[in-house]
Amino acid sequence: MVCAKTTVLHESGLHMRPAQEFVSAVANYPCKVVIKVGENCVNGKSILSVMAAGIQKGTPIEICCEGPQEQEALVAALEVLAKV
Amino acid sequence: MGVADLLSPQRIELNLSLQDKQAVLERLVELESRGDAIIDLEAFRRDMMAREAQGGTAVEAGIAVPHAKSSAVRYPSLAVVTLKKGIDCGALDGVPSDLFFMIAVPADAELHMAVLARLTTLLMEPEFLQQLRKAATPEEFLHLVDEFEQRLPQLDSKWQEAPTATVLAVTACPTGIAHTYMAADALERAGQHLGVTVKVETQGAGGTKNKLTPQEIRQCTAVIIAAGREVDMSRFQGIKVLRVSVNEGIYRAEELVQRAASGDAPVYGGVDLPREVERIGVRSYRQLMNGVSHMLPFVIGGGILTALAFLLDDMSLGYAHFGSNTPVSAWLRAIGQAALGFMLPILAGFTSVAIADRPGMMVGFVGGALAASGATLAAPEGSGAPAGFLGAMIAGFAGGYLMVGLKKLLDRLPGTIEGIKSILLYPVAGLLMVGLFMCLINPFVGALNSALYGSLQVLGPQSRIVLGALLAGMMSIDMGGPFNKAAYLFGTSTLAALATGQESDVMAAVMIGGMVPPLVIALATTFCKSCFTPEERKSGAVNYILGLCFVTEGAVPFAASDPLRVLPACILGSAVAGGLSMLFGCAVPAPHGGIFLCPVMINPGGYLAALAAGSLAGMLLLAVLKKNRTILREH
Repeated sequence: MVCAKTTVLHESGLHMRPAQEFVSAVANYPCKVVIKVGENCVNGKSILSVMAAGIQKGTPIEICCEGPQEQEALVAALEVLAKV
Repeated sequence: MGVADLLSPQRIELNLSLQDKQAVLERLVELESRGDAIIDLEAFRRDMMAREAQGGTAVEAGIAVPHAKSSAVRYPSLAVVTLKKGIDCGALDGVPSDLFFMIAVPADAELHMAVLARLTTLLMEPEFLQQLRKAATPEEFLHLVDEFEQRLPQLDSKWQEAPTATVLAVTACPTGIAHTYMAADALERAGQHLGVTVKVETQGAGGTKNKLTPQEIRQCTAVIIAAGREVDMSRFQGIKVLRVSVNEGIYRAEELVQRAASGDAPVYGGVDLPREVERIGVRSYRQLMNGVSHMLPFVIGGGILTALAFLLDDMSLGYAHFGSNTPVSAWLRAIGQAALGFMLPILAGFTSVAIADRPGMMVGFVGGALAASGATLAAPEGSGAPAGFLGAMIAGFAGGYLMVGLKKLLDRLPGTIEGIKSILLYPVAGLLMVGLFMCLINPFVGALNSALYGSLQVLGPQSRIVLGALLAGMMSIDMGGPFNKAAYLFGTSTLAALATGQESDVMAAVMIGGMVPPLVIALATTFCKSCFTPEERKSGAVNYILGLCFVTEGAVPFAASDPLRVLPACILGSAVAGGLSMLFGCAVPAPHGGIFLCPVMINPGGYLAALAAGSLAGMLLLAVLKKNRTILREH
């Protein structure tokens, strides 16, 4: 498993559009993608779960990928989050 | 409090057969209108479609969440449409969407996230989705949402405070050119800064913009009235209202918006209930300025057309009807005079409205018209001795306070006749009262007028210079009232005694007396800028034209708003000019026309010199008098 910490920079948090972008960026990797927000772990491949986490701007999060191509998936996830 | 609270059975429609996404969206927008969360459905529809155009809102598992953060939304609201057969909305997982939740939220990012997160948390439960799709009625659907939501932890996010604070404001200043809009800008900026939805209605010279709707007023947290003149308060009954000056609206906008958003304001309960403590002088001034500001366009429009009538006329056709000899000038003059004819009713009417709100309007207008006609009990058609603008000011205040008294009186009547009060009792009783009042005042005006005219006639061959100064000064005393009319009538009588085309020096002095006041104002607004507000300065320039064309009315708005300073200055200026005109032996062959008579008058050079000297003298006195003016200014 690989993990990386980052911060949500989107002006309105991870609302629908950023959530869609995030999920489509990681959806094609076979590994599991999890976003840790505080105590919560949400499924990074489900738009619903990402939105349900209600992650506001400035929130520190940790992204963990586990399984085949976990490295690439993590890079893709960080890239899409950095692209505001 | 939760998702279920944002829904209502009215806004849920199940198992529809719609063919495409656009049809579903239109249906959802329509559903959102069933409730009062949306202020402006069209604006909301636009915002919603704009959001949709940025990218699809289909999520996954057949769910789509079209949404818009929109300033057209008062507080969060949900609408639901489910389809018998899902349609492709471009979801990432390729599943056709059949469950549509439309979210309408105010333009507040945090709130939007809170609603979205809560809703999607619910929708993540597969069992919940399965049951939702089986729901047969909107009530059942709503019940399911409620039931599943109970299982989630309680919310503590800020949307529980919804509906969010909405602050409305009305801005208005006496002339409606600058301060009205500066205050509106300041309040809107303060709203953005504080994250409060602020809508501002501006009541400027160009009319009311961004008008507050009854629905908005009903649902707002509080209203800020930032006005330098009266605004119609009747629509704010029972609403929390903060009343401040325009300047406070400009310089203390944040404080005001904050106060209003927290609901820290007294509830407005009609004209007789406590309003801000205000000195009587300041209040009367504000009420009067309501009349003056509404009168201005009539004076400027009517005055300029009258001036144009002289400019375009052909003097060779005769002096007696100069200004309406040719069809064009006759037409211009007629409509110009029609506008000027409204001056006094408008002045009185809107002064009265400022005192008694809407019920005061009719009595004020009629009182002003009676002041203009000089009607008395004996001569109800009009006595030929109008009471002028001073009479109209009296009519405005009298009308307003008569109505306030009448309202108090009728308060004791049983509530069952409440309905007929405003449509029957106020108009009828008010009209009778103001009619009687004016007809009792006007005889004194008429008597004064006759006495003045009589004494002018028996004045005999006094010094011509003194006579000229006296007559010219009288023209300025009330600019259309008994003094003015007595002097003017005396002037025209000297003209009538001569053969046609003969020049009268008395008429020349009278005319110059009526030309000086607007010029005094014009010069003062040019050379004594600090004595006037920016708006006054702008309308002051027109007075150059009006003065030169002998349209005395141009000075009336200024005289009405500050009579104790403007009148003495104008009287002095007129008297100086009238005396000099006599001294120089100037004489004119026609009763009106201003400087257009120069080609046919005796000693036009002397006349212009007298005019300049009088206007300068008046301006200097006005500058001195206005220097110490400390109150009642917009700055």
